[in-house]
Amino acid sequence: MTPTEGFLRHGSDSYIANFAETEREVLVNLVQQVIEILAERHDHANEDPLAAMVGITTHDSPPDDEVLLRLLPNAYQDGVDAAEFRRYTESTLRDKKRAHAMSIRMMLLSATDGDVVLDFENAQAWLGGLNDVRLALGVRLKVDQNSPEDLELLAPDDPMRAVYAVYTWLGWLQETLVEALMDEASS
Amino acid sequence: MGKLKPQPTVSEETVAEISAIFSSDRPWVVVVWDDPINLMTYVTYVFMTVFGFSKEKATELMLQVHNEGKSIVAKGAREEMERYVQRLHEYGLWATIAREDQI
Repeated sequence: MTPTEGFLRHGSDSYIANFAETEREVLVNLVQQVIEILAERHDHANEDPLAAMVGITTHDSPPDDEVLLRLLPNAYQDGVDAAEFRRYTESTLRDKKRAHAMSIRMMLLSATDGDVVLDFENAQAWLGGLNDVRLALGVRLKVDQNSPEDLELLAPDDPMRAVYAVYTWLGWLQETLVEALMDEASS
Repeated sequence: MGKLKPQPTVSEETVAEISAIFSSDRPWVVVVWDDPINLMTYVTYVFMTVFGFSKEKATELMLQVHNEGKSIVAKGAREEMERYVQRLHEYGLWATIAREDQI
């Protein structure tokens, strides 16, 4: 199978891409890892069913893990305000991110002949979900403005070189979807 | 002799300051911060989608984030700004809420 050419707009409300088997496997694996890292932050100590029902979490301190912190960032620079906001909103944000990753996973697993067809809603889930994978990889790769130059210094057999290649591929893929969506937005 | 009684001088300026402290409509803002991971076109698209900005306005704000390290993208009541930040976080942008005068 040929490598994907990214997303293209089809009609007024469809965005289509075709993925090779290996690309699907890589993507499913990546979104699965996002689902797993988000699950590390479950509300194990939430004893109050009413609080759980309205989405109040037991977490009011930021995650220690830097990937989780980037996925679930502080909304205020002030620590007290940030904690208060997190207490009332973090579980909703986690649920959304989980739903985005699950949507990508499900669509890839059920893609016939590697064809993925998104409507506007799915496209938003894919944008957010692909971005979460990029954030996670980017944090672990310590991506900064100098990264392309730094990559030149890596040994050809450094495993980080391959990870960085996946990271840039994801960026390219996301960009094809953004461009397909923008086409519509401007027309 | 009794204790010295404090004698605050209450000027018009002081009155204005005090009412500002108690006022609930002091504007809040949404600040988006530069980060090396999010793509420029993606940030532009998110601004268009979340705030309904034109492509030109969204691009201008995105470039401000990129070149100056941050940009104020919305201003208004606190609850409204909090809803915006929630949506920006869903898209993975690095956004915070602040008092307008504390930025």
